[in-house]
Amino acid sequence: MSFAVKLVPVQEAYDDLLNRTLSRISCDLGRLIYLASTRDYNTGNYYHEGLASRFSPEVARKALEIAHRQAFYKVSSLSLEVLANDLEVYLRSSRENPQEFLRTWQKLEPYRVTIPTEVNLTVARLFTSNLRLSLAILRFRQEQSH
Amino acid sequence: MIGTSSALIGAVVFLLLILVWIRADSSSRRLPSVLDTWLPDQDDAAEVCPPEFVAQIFSGQDLAFILRLESPDLKRHFFRERNAVALFWVQQTAAVIRRIMRRHLEASRLSADIEFAMEARIFLQYAKLRLLCAVLFLLIGLAGPQKLHAIALYADRLTQRIGNVLREFESGVRTREMDGA
Repeated sequence: MSFAVKLVPVQEAYDDLLNRTLSRISCDLGRLIYLASTRDYNTGNYYHEGLASRFSPEVARKALEIAHRQAFYKVSSLSLEVLANDLEVYLRSSRENPQEFLRTWQKLEPYRVTIPTEVNLTVARLFTSNLRLSLAILRFRQEQSH
Repeated sequence: MIGTSSALIGAVVFLLLILVWIRADSSSRRLPSVLDTWLPDQDDAAEVCPPEFVAQIFSGQDLAFILRLESPDLKRHFFRERNAVALFWVQQTAAVIRRIMRRHLEASRLSADIEFAMEARIFLQYAKLRLLCAVLFLLIGLAGPQKLHAIALYADRLTQRIGNVLREFESGVRTREMDGA
């Protein structure tokens, strides 16, 4: 009984997050990066002020954790072609200089911090590998257009 | 004379296999990855890879896209990356199945009524899977993951099947223990 009572608010918080926040982000990669940014680097706990005030910090934490894992698996399952296009949408939305963006991402690999803690290791490896390839594809497209 | 040439051919093939193995092993270690420096909880990490991702790693769809771009550099990059991921999956699958079998052996030792036929079937499936992993490990570097799609999916199904059989076995043992208590 208590299990069911606990699950309902998490589902509500998850739907709220989906409708109010995530739906406004234009690409899957952007959603993943946003969700990863709600995780505290030191503790690994998720926090979202609006969601925590509407529900509770614990319910918000759980909803963010689930949404983060789902967003990660979604991005990891994208084909290279779709992922490269998604990355391009994210790059444009960042309004940064594309060349600088690509150089920094290839050098620092900031997408590594977006991997949730409890995911399959092979999927995590596929994710980083596909992003490395997508960056190389965008760089190639950039060189072709000049 | 025939015996000597057969032995020579055999030795050359053996040496080639060793070389391919060493190459595959080193390329699976060489690739930088988040996993080299960061490892989540090992029990959770060692879970079986979801089948849709196995299909994706070994599918030809991404390769077809890369080939359309007509860039030799990108093609090389793609093969290096995808081979490393495929090899990593093989290593993980072998590790998962070893772990499952170890747990099964521990459970069998404590169980009073062992069915020989069942144990033999499990062991045969385990041996088949280990052999498949070894074959995949050797062939990924030579043929590329895309040509091994069917073998990889078969190995994945076999892993799931062994996992299911052993889970049923363990729950059966637990039920009998509870009945006996």
